[in-house]
Amino acid sequence: MVRIAVISCPHRGRPHPVNVALGYALMTLAAVGVHASERPGLAGVTGLPPAASRAVDFSTDVEPLLAANCHECHGSETRKGGLRLDVREEALLGGDSGAVIAPGSAGESRLLHRVAGLDPEGIMPPKGEPLNIEQIGILRAWIEQGAEWPESAMGAGAEVRSRHWAFQSVEPVEPPGVKEAAWVRNPIDRFVLARLEREGIEPSPEADRVTLIRRLSLDLTGLPPSPADVEAFASDTSPEAYGRLVERLLGSPRFGEQWARHWLDLARYADSDGYEKDFHRPHAWRWRNWVIDSINRDQPFDEFTRDQLAGDLLPDATLEQRVATGFHRNSLLNREGGVDIEEDRTKIVKDRVNTVGTAWMALTVGCAECHSHKYDPITQREFYQLYAFFNSTDDRDIPAPLPREQGTWRRGMSALDLAKEAYVADEPDGFEAWVEEVAELPDIWVTPAVEDYELPTFGANNGANLYPQEDGSFLVTGMVENKTHYIMMLNTALRGITGIRIEAMTDEMLPRLGPGWATNGNFVLTEVLVEASPLTAVTALEAYGVGSVAADYSQEGFPVGAAIDGVTTNGGWAVDLPELPMHGVDRCAVLTLKKPIDHEGESRLKVSLVQHEGKSHTLGRVRVSYTTSEPEMLAGQAVPQRIRDIAGVPEARRTLDQRAELKRYYQATFQSDVDEFVEFTKRLAESPGVKGEVRAQVLAERDILRPTHLHVRGNFLEKGAEVEPGTPAVLPPLKTGGGEADRLALAKWLVDPGHPLTARVAVNRVWHHLFGEGLVNTPADFGTQGDTPSHPELLDWLAGEYARLGWSRKELIRRIVESATYRQASAVREALLDRDVNNRLLARQNRFRLSAENARDQFLAASGLMEAGIGGPSVGSERPRRGLYQQIKRAQIDPMLAVFDAPSTVQACPKRQRSNTPLQALTLLNGDLFMRSARELGRAAGWVAGGEMESRLCELFQRCTAREPTTEDLKDLSALWTRVRDYYREEPERAVEVVGAGEPGPRDVPEAAAWTVVARVVLNLDEVITRE
Amino acid sequence: MDPLKEHVALTRREFLTTAAGGIGGLALASLLAREGVGAPADRRLINPLAAKAPHFAPRARNCIFFFLSGGTSQVDLFDPKPKLNELAGQPLPPSVLEGLRFAFIQKDSARVMGSPRTFRQHGESGMYFSDLLPNVATLADDLCMVRSMHTEPFNHHPATIMMNSGFDRMGRPTLGSWLTYGLGSECDDLPGYVVLEPGPGIRGGATNWSCGFMPSTYEGVLFGTRGDAVHNLGNPPGITTAVQRMSLDTIARLNERRRRHIKDPEIDSRVSSYELAFRMQKAAPDLIDFSGERGATLEAYGIERGDDLQRRFSTSCLLARRMVERGVRFVNIYMDGWDHHGGINDGLVRNCGVVDQPIAALVKDLKQRGLLESTLVVWGTEFGRTPLGDNRIGMAAVTGRDHQPSAFSLWMAGGGVKGGLTYGATDDLGMNVVRDPVHINDFHATLLHLFGLDHEALTYHFEGRDYRLTDVAGRVMGEWIA
Repeated sequence: MVRIAVISCPHRGRPHPVNVALGYALMTLAAVGVHASERPGLAGVTGLPPAASRAVDFSTDVEPLLAANCHECHGSETRKGGLRLDVREEALLGGDSGAVIAPGSAGESRLLHRVAGLDPEGIMPPKGEPLNIEQIGILRAWIEQGAEWPESAMGAGAEVRSRHWAFQSVEPVEPPGVKEAAWVRNPIDRFVLARLEREGIEPSPEADRVTLIRRLSLDLTGLPPSPADVEAFASDTSPEAYGRLVERLLGSPRFGEQWARHWLDLARYADSDGYEKDFHRPHAWRWRNWVIDSINRDQPFDEFTRDQLAGDLLPDATLEQRVATGFHRNSLLNREGGVDIEEDRTKIVKDRVNTVGTAWMALTVGCAECHSHKYDPITQREFYQLYAFFNSTDDRDIPAPLPREQGTWRRGMSALDLAKEAYVADEPDGFEAWVEEVAELPDIWVTPAVEDYELPTFGANNGANLYPQEDGSFLVTGMVENKTHYIMMLNTALRGITGIRIEAMTDEMLPRLGPGWATNGNFVLTEVLVEASPLTAVTALEAYGVGSVAADYSQEGFPVGAAIDGVTTNGGWAVDLPELPMHGVDRCAVLTLKKPIDHEGESRLKVSLVQHEGKSHTLGRVRVSYTTSEPEMLAGQAVPQRIRDIAGVPEARRTLDQRAELKRYYQATFQSDVDEFVEFTKRLAESPGVKGEVRAQVLAERDILRPTHLHVRGNFLEKGAEVEPGTPAVLPPLKTGGGEADRLALAKWLVDPGHPLTARVAVNRVWHHLFGEGLVNTPADFGTQGDTPSHPELLDWLAGEYARLGWSRKELIRRIVESATYRQASAVREALLDRDVNNRLLARQNRFRLSAENARDQFLAASGLMEAGIGGPSVGSERPRRGLYQQIKRAQIDPMLAVFDAPSTVQACPKRQRSNTPLQALTLLNGDLFMRSARELGRAAGWVAGGEMESRLCELFQRCTAREPTTEDLKDLSALWTRVRDYYREEPERAVEVVGAGEPGPRDVPEAAAWTVVARVVLNLDEVITRE
Repeated sequence: MDPLKEHVALTRREFLTTAAGGIGGLALASLLAREGVGAPADRRLINPLAAKAPHFAPRARNCIFFFLSGGTSQVDLFDPKPKLNELAGQPLPPSVLEGLRFAFIQKDSARVMGSPRTFRQHGESGMYFSDLLPNVATLADDLCMVRSMHTEPFNHHPATIMMNSGFDRMGRPTLGSWLTYGLGSECDDLPGYVVLEPGPGIRGGATNWSCGFMPSTYEGVLFGTRGDAVHNLGNPPGITTAVQRMSLDTIARLNERRRRHIKDPEIDSRVSSYELAFRMQKAAPDLIDFSGERGATLEAYGIERGDDLQRRFSTSCLLARRMVERGVRFVNIYMDGWDHHGGINDGLVRNCGVVDQPIAALVKDLKQRGLLESTLVVWGTEFGRTPLGDNRIGMAAVTGRDHQPSAFSLWMAGGGVKGGLTYGATDDLGMNVVRDPVHINDFHATLLHLFGLDHEALTYHFEGRDYRLTDVAGRVMGEWIA
């Protein structure tokens, strides 16, 4: 399979090691470490031919030049380098590497340098005659004269065209006529048969009934039919029997499990973060549950799409709709120490764009991350326009009780509301005056935006990572360290900084709502160090002493003063509230510096939060603010901003939650009426949403959107032009209906009937799972490098049918499995191998190896070991749960899953490999759970079962393969049984080992061992892990 | 006769015995690959691991790749920098630090850290080694030392994945996968791509020997150095070899019967896989049985020496030779623990004490047996370490170095590389490459070249793109080749 091929991605430049060309001079150390990824500057006008000395006209002078020399590559179909020179806006916008035309300035117009051969990246056009001096002079004159480009000129072709089949809209198709109309069960068969008739090939006969029920059971539920089911179906000769079977299987909750697993492949689902740390994701399964439920209740595919892409943006989004957005949370997350958070965040956003591109459109949009797509009409700018849809989200883990528990949950919440009402009804003494006081505190704090912090040096030093939040705070998640430091490094233009405010904030992601990471929500701030220098002298930071410190609350024995006492090894400020079941109260400390930080120009400022208590007594969410007010003004300022904000809301407009929060804060801080406070807080701690309940990983949109820039050559540090959310021009336009161009609009765009890809891609996937191969056998790629459909009209008919069926997955599947095409035998037809070795013509069904999970499921189902119960958390591989529920650790994929080609879960996997290796044989023969299955099957169908040897063998065989063994099969198996039994009579201790411990043990151990061996043999037959 | 029919007509026994290499016989079926309807035959009738011809005459047939994971310190082992001690304790000017990204170093107070190591030239070539590697130093004239490696990621896992797969994100096939994919295996009872992991597990686990998007056939197989060499290799309790044989015979008979009925050659592959599994069960115990080795050999490797880690590392080195003798294409030996942010001096003494003797013994052993010519041995790591001390807050003293992707060293021996060559140079601090830079993609291109593979032609089509080990770059370092 070694293919000689063109280099597929040739433009991604690697930054060259840098100082090679510079040489170096150690005496000054000047050259050491200078990064030279800066791109060469433009050459100005030096070397450019002179401008034509007349007024040029775009239509008569310039357009013909562009058309003759540029449009072939920079036109509506190819757009090389992301550049179009046939449409005004596009041409002025430029390409992947920025603008190429600077009206009025020839020296800054890359277009001129390229055509003149002055650009280091080579001359344009790259082939054929270069432009002559006169032609370049015309272009130069045009640019210098302002690059006038009348709206009328060449405006008509603004849309991007492509002749590629997959980008054409789906048109209605009439099923063709056929000769053998009697074979046809539904329109699908007409498309298939018409093609076969054209080739002069007859379809295969219908598979026998045993094969049919096993095929349907495996395809729809992933589990084998029981011998009783097989018996019932085989003996039911009524014409409705098949339809009834389909109906039963579609209604089985196992259907949702099976088809959820297919979707999980696309979603790169895993139970861990990936990368080196690969932390467990305890809540990931909650989204998987949503998928199973959604498929079982046959949620239409358009809604399924909408909820996952943008459930959180729906008006009055339900909990389940928010849970659905967990699709995107399956991105990898690098929590290795010292990682650049922003770099990792941009990787995650790119991954989300790529995954959506693959899962819904089968487009390799990721190829346009660093440069415009080499094969498909997707520019780099368009990639970042898609990126913009996903660039303004935060990852949140929210309380998410399962649907069946939501009634209780809601009742609990209502009861809690009543409790809150009762709680806020009485105001403690002095409360009102205090609120007023807080509301009137002068606003003296400046909170730097997270972008102002220097990345990544604000990071904690032992590998904890601080995730920037919209409000200027940093949230530490996942990586919980025993001891750590957070370093806030900032360049600031503030002059005369007199004080620093540190807020320890609560968060739903923290234990007992925080503000600390300790199991009781506490933290210990051992020491705060403040250093600064003029920006011009960064290697000589000066320590600034803290004169005084005040906090709104200090735990006994952990006064806030201990955080400035110069002791960095132990002690410090903590905020525990004794005998309380939870924290959940923001805390605040204000430091007054001995002398202000005041430098000419900008200052470089470093605040180190040392946390050396151990046992994860670290800050969970922290925000640092600064003030330049007179030190006297700092008195009374130790109040968390969140509390100040609530106090600032006029009483009548405060929500119930705000009122409760204000009172709780007051009581916790001033210890007034401790009993009431403790009682209410207990209530809160036990309420749904706090106590040990199920959580879900979801997306939340920020209020303030992040601007999106193109990343030059994919490098997140090199920001190109700013872009707005948008969709590739080759596809239908995004409709926002006057609303936001947000994820919701993107979801609606995807499932719009005019979208040429979504429905085709979706039906092809369903087909792929029901035939082992898609009509397009590159389900990952419908672009120009992908496969062409074997039956294009059938694909389009199905795509149209999907919409007609209201995007019902179950109805689509019903259509397909009821066809005669699906029901054909899968035996290989040797006569056709020469003509159609891959069976693209569908003159038979395919037979193929089961997925890793389904292979495991066969062993568990046949032996009866499989645990019942749909959904729930992931489990270890030794638990006899369906393969779908096996915990997936990205860095340590379970060996059984890996050898059977389960996806790596790093990116969307629309098509699994189906390898066939000796490690698979070793796994099924010797793996613990597989041997345990053999033992159990041998016991249940063999030595504890009554009856004749032959009927017991038949039962055992049928449980594994659904079919009856042939006479010869029986002969071989009973011969094996006898030989093995005789063998173990000579080796009785071995026989005991084979059968294993278990009560009650068999009367005749060698016989029981022989049953185990026979069961193991039958379970290891090719057909057990093959769908026929 | 129609080749497929001919193939079909062969009984299993015939076809297992007529073709050298057992399931290599299935390669017959490659003859059958005919243009189907609208698409080339891609149904895997052939054994994907059958030995394949390279693009051109190879210099190397096998590779033993030592991955000293964590980032070995070039300035303490291979790349002497006297300036370090001269400037020890001094800061670097801001202009130098500008734009540099570190994992842990606090730029504002970072200082140059000296090295207590003494360097000496060795061999006729005069190659430099520090005093920590006295045995490896004796190989000087057989080694190709590269001091000008550089990479991009500055965190471990991305950098390790980069060294293994040419790309800094998980999901791509690794070196051993590419080699077995490109060349197949020349071993019919052991996997073609084996991983050994003496000592604590490597960070990132199996992602380091992942086959990415390729079939699992090309995934590295982790061998234990004790107990079951391969996961699930041993029969379950009470299942003896005799019972296993009887079982497999029955499985084969029933599968063949099914095959006659269904006529799918894939069933033959299944039968072959079970047979190969059985052969592996027999071959692996033989592989780890050192009773046939001479006492002097065991001693040279240090099989009985020192502590557990030392013994396991020595065992891995000897296992690697025995695997190469049996035709295993790619043996990957990991040793974690080189991430010396602190205690670098003691740490290096200990680690070098583990690896120095057996690695040198292995190279000499290979050479003496005439295997070095066709076996490429690599000392690799994911990045280098900084000349600046790691000064993160909370460290009582600065005793280690931070990650440094901008320059690091690795060496190769055998497999067609030039001995005695020291290639490339770094600045006086070992901080940046100043001559003959080599990116990991270049290193990979060269490695493939030594195996007779053109890195631009060795592609795997996945999701609409032809992927390469060298991603979109890579240059064959002709200067390294003997």
